[in-house]
Amino acid sequence: MTTAAGAPVTDLSTRVGPLRLQNPILTASGTFGYGLEFAERADLRRLGGLVTKGLSLEPLAGNPPVRIAETRGGMLNSIGLQNIGVDRFLNDVLPDLAGLPPKVIVNLFGYDQDDYVRLAERVDCHRGVAAVELNVSCPNVSKGGIEFGHDPEILCGLVRRVRSATGKPVIVKLSPNVTSPAALGQAASAGGADVLSAVNTFVGMAINTRSRRPVLSTVRGGLSGPAIKPLALRIVWDVAHEVDLPVIGIGGIETVDDVLEFLLAGASAVQVGTALFRDPRTAERLVDGLRDRMLAEGVASVGSLVGAAARPQ
Amino acid sequence: MAALDSRGEVLEVRALPLQHFLLRIRVAGMEPAAPGQFVMVAGANQAEPYLRRAFSVYDQEPVGTGALTISLLGKVIGPGTAALAACLPGQHIPVLGPLGRGFHSMGVHGLHGGRAALVAGGIGSAGLGLLAQALAREGRPFDFYYGGRGADDLVEAEEFRRLSESTGGRLLRTTEDGTAGARGLVAEALSATLEAAAAQTGRAYEALYTCGPHGLMAAVARIAVEHGIEGEAAMEAPMGCGYGACLGCAVELEEGGYALCCRHGPVFNLREVAW
Repeated sequence: MTTAAGAPVTDLSTRVGPLRLQNPILTASGTFGYGLEFAERADLRRLGGLVTKGLSLEPLAGNPPVRIAETRGGMLNSIGLQNIGVDRFLNDVLPDLAGLPPKVIVNLFGYDQDDYVRLAERVDCHRGVAAVELNVSCPNVSKGGIEFGHDPEILCGLVRRVRSATGKPVIVKLSPNVTSPAALGQAASAGGADVLSAVNTFVGMAINTRSRRPVLSTVRGGLSGPAIKPLALRIVWDVAHEVDLPVIGIGGIETVDDVLEFLLAGASAVQVGTALFRDPRTAERLVDGLRDRMLAEGVASVGSLVGAAARPQ
Repeated sequence: MAALDSRGEVLEVRALPLQHFLLRIRVAGMEPAAPGQFVMVAGANQAEPYLRRAFSVYDQEPVGTGALTISLLGKVIGPGTAALAACLPGQHIPVLGPLGRGFHSMGVHGLHGGRAALVAGGIGSAGLGLLAQALAREGRPFDFYYGGRGADDLVEAEEFRRLSESTGGRLLRTTEDGTAGARGLVAEALSATLEAAAAQTGRAYEALYTCGPHGLMAAVARIAVEHGIEGEAAMEAPMGCGYGACLGCAVELEEGGYALCCRHGPVFNLREVAW
């Protein structure tokens, strides 16, 4: 295939379970707002997909300050799932996103199973929503969410209920803060999940040595950024090998090499997060960089990279 | 208006007393900042710290067609500010801006006309630079209250003296150690002026604008309420991105809930904030 100008084009399109993406670069929940925040700073059209800020049934005000703390190679956050609520997103934001090429994945968060079911029902009829991603692993709220991501039986039951509430593909975002994320992935698979995304943030903390107090108002927060990349990569490798579902890799991705590592480890696509705070154009830069790299190395498709590190040379 | 994400060329890094520095950067295509707006910047090829830092645009000047020279006034307090202070002329550094909402002093939605007081604590003066210039340009009289621990904290004091005096106002300095101006806190100096005026003719100021440590801005907010004066504060909060994506820079509001310092602010009405 060539462009009008005659330059060769590599096909970046990829399949993640039931999802077809124009390229494997997505933006991670909580790092790209609802998408439109970036419209003036990044070319949204070039993304493979975008995952919304976690949405709940009712708007949430979030946690008191201090909410973020920079640490070496990354940052801790304790935003507390501040969001505009699912209805306002569907009514006010989604119509502006729905016509764009990137797939819109709606990240959902509930305090109990019924919340998740109602959220899934609420988005089900919206054609602009390509999939739902269940946040079952947010470390920053006092109740709900997190318990679903830490107990295989509960997670399986939750996914089963969401599965029957919507025809949309269901992505389950795994917590890294468990002994075996892959075991949770298996539970999600048994419940009927279509895709796994891995991983959410690692629970961490920071202390201000002058005030001698924890930096974050909630003491603990979620660590993200380059610091977690090797940890996340190991989990993606494990999940890809132990669970028979496509995986979207997340964790400290900033360079084309990072993207390739996650693909080679077994991810079918990746989500870019914290790097967007440093450079809002990171995702488009990675799309270009991945294409250049594939051209240079004669790689015909993204699919041929997925899991290649585990295959015999 | 779209904030430009660009690379600026470092023109000058001027070392000032007590690890303060003035960084001049030429940025092609950047829109001029409104008083109180900010940019997100990082040092050249900076790996650590990972995130950019928010800086008020202290001064700016259009150069040629479509380029802007901006000046940032800062103080080295950690690795982020150290990386910026270590920039060399000719290096290119990331600059995203102008960002946020500035002071509402001008135009139809502006605060009251009449005499204003600008109240800076230490390096908070950087957040009031463009405002002082704008007031001077419009011929609106203002006094500039400038407080710090010692004389060396009052960087660019002569510039603020020049600007305030050009409007018929004056610079009032306070230091905790008494090495410049009156010994004491800057909020006390403001309070004293207002009390003295209230005892005689009425109101000394129609508007208060402040930028500095939280305690100072909270004190100015209390004074504003006591004397029934409108006012605004240029706030600071730890920011991840500077444009509303990370939701990290929450400022607690008096009416409940939070606003983002980077998008709703950094300039807030004094009565809006839960101090």
